[in-house]
Amino acid sequence: MGREVNPESVLGISVRRFVMVNKCIGCYTCEEVCKFLNDEQQFIKLYEIESGLSKPISCFHCVKAPCVTVCPTNALIVDRDGAVVTRVTRCIGCTSCIIACPFGIPDLLPVGHVVKCDLCSKLRSEGLEPGCIAVCPTNAILWGKPEDITRMLREKTLLKLVEAYRR
Amino acid sequence: MRFAFMCRDRGGRRGSVAIIGAGPAGLAAAGYLTCMGYEVDVYDKLPYVGGLMMFAIPSYRIYPDNVIEGVEDLRDRLSVRFYLRTKVFAKNQSRHDEGDEFVEKVVNLEDLVEKYNAVLISTGTWSSRKLGVEGEDSRNVLTALEYLYHWRLYEEGLATEKPPTGRNVVVVGAGLSAIDAAEKALETGADVYIVYRRTIAEAPAGIYPINELIKRGVRFVELVQPTKIISEGGYARGLELVKMKLGEPDETGRPRPIPVPGTEFVMEADLVILAVGEIPTPPFVDKFMNISIDRSRRIQVNNRYQTALEKVFAAGDVVTGPSFIGKAFGSGLRAAKYIDSYLYLRR
Repeated sequence: MGREVNPESVLGISVRRFVMVNKCIGCYTCEEVCKFLNDEQQFIKLYEIESGLSKPISCFHCVKAPCVTVCPTNALIVDRDGAVVTRVTRCIGCTSCIIACPFGIPDLLPVGHVVKCDLCSKLRSEGLEPGCIAVCPTNAILWGKPEDITRMLREKTLLKLVEAYRR
Repeated sequence: MRFAFMCRDRGGRRGSVAIIGAGPAGLAAAGYLTCMGYEVDVYDKLPYVGGLMMFAIPSYRIYPDNVIEGVEDLRDRLSVRFYLRTKVFAKNQSRHDEGDEFVEKVVNLEDLVEKYNAVLISTGTWSSRKLGVEGEDSRNVLTALEYLYHWRLYEEGLATEKPPTGRNVVVVGAGLSAIDAAEKALETGADVYIVYRRTIAEAPAGIYPINELIKRGVRFVELVQPTKIISEGGYARGLELVKMKLGEPDETGRPRPIPVPGTEFVMEADLVILAVGEIPTPPFVDKFMNISIDRSRRIQVNNRYQTALEKVFAAGDVVTGPSFIGKAFGSGLRAAKYIDSYLYLRR
């Protein structure tokens, strides 16, 4: 667990979440379900970055997560599936993870510890998908092996290129 | 799109729940309640499940197969029963709403309230606002809901003819339905105009989607309001509009549009699409027992999504008015949770 994990072996076995921002229609289903599953806390959240343009953001569960690296109490760890999760009892609320995260993801709660997306640990332990992935009406949030996702994206790119030449 | 995303198998709760309306709110509730173990029956007036997700939102935004997959999961894995082409309505009352064409059977709301341990009303907003101007009943004047719904029926093979098309299409309004309708009309090769009584800055859909349509050739005409639809032999030939100016903020907080007298002008159109809002369609007219609705026809509920009738709950757009899929989904989930505690505590 945690630091001992070799990212390459993690990558080999694990599935990851990919948020395809271009496919998202900004319907708020992921955010609402996340809120429902996490006592009103939103670990995937939409922002209206421009009038009429709302998109979701959540933890990327980095393979070499800076938040895990900087956490002085080992509160942040990479779990078996490659999800970056917080062990709140160990968190001292130093917020070094907030500073280290390139995406501004961890949230400091008033009670003094940091919380973030755990890719629905509880659902995963029962063999189910994280909520946001399961409910997205446009399949904009995908759950898969990185190699399958890149393959899909490359095939799509090729299709687009071929289409462009057909015109 | 999974509605029963919280369980592998059904739980141990006993009891029965009827859900009226199989849109995002109803399906989310069905997923939660069947996971808890309840017997869930879902009633919907349409031939397919999914509500506006299936029948109004263009299929390139939400793939119908995606919704169907989730519904099949509810039906096959978790034994949720679906009663389609079935409209639920209060006894001795009636109202025609959009999407009623497929109804083969009307079930009394009273009977469901009697038969089930709890009932969830999630019937959405299947009625469109009109402008209330002359000529609005012309054959080629449609509401955005009628237009998008008719396209979806055609795509699903449920209607043999395409909806009316035009070379000059004028969409009235600037909400999300207006955007979808304008985009669909653009696809048919028409010249598309969106006319709106305020400016792009106040548009309910926001600036971004309107600019995207403008880039694709849609013309956005702001600060105008239709005063009349010019019709010949029941067929619209154009609209008379008046220019508007913005005044002090109104009750919605947005500047009130005020007509400027003497600025009337005519726009030619051979298809007019009214996208000026949708209204909730509860399964009763004004009142059902002691359940009441407000001035916008929204069902009144407490903070546990419960109506004045103890065993009847309501969620989704029929409670909030038109909203986002996710907001309806979330309200369905929360209502389901309160239905569970209500049924569990009563035992």
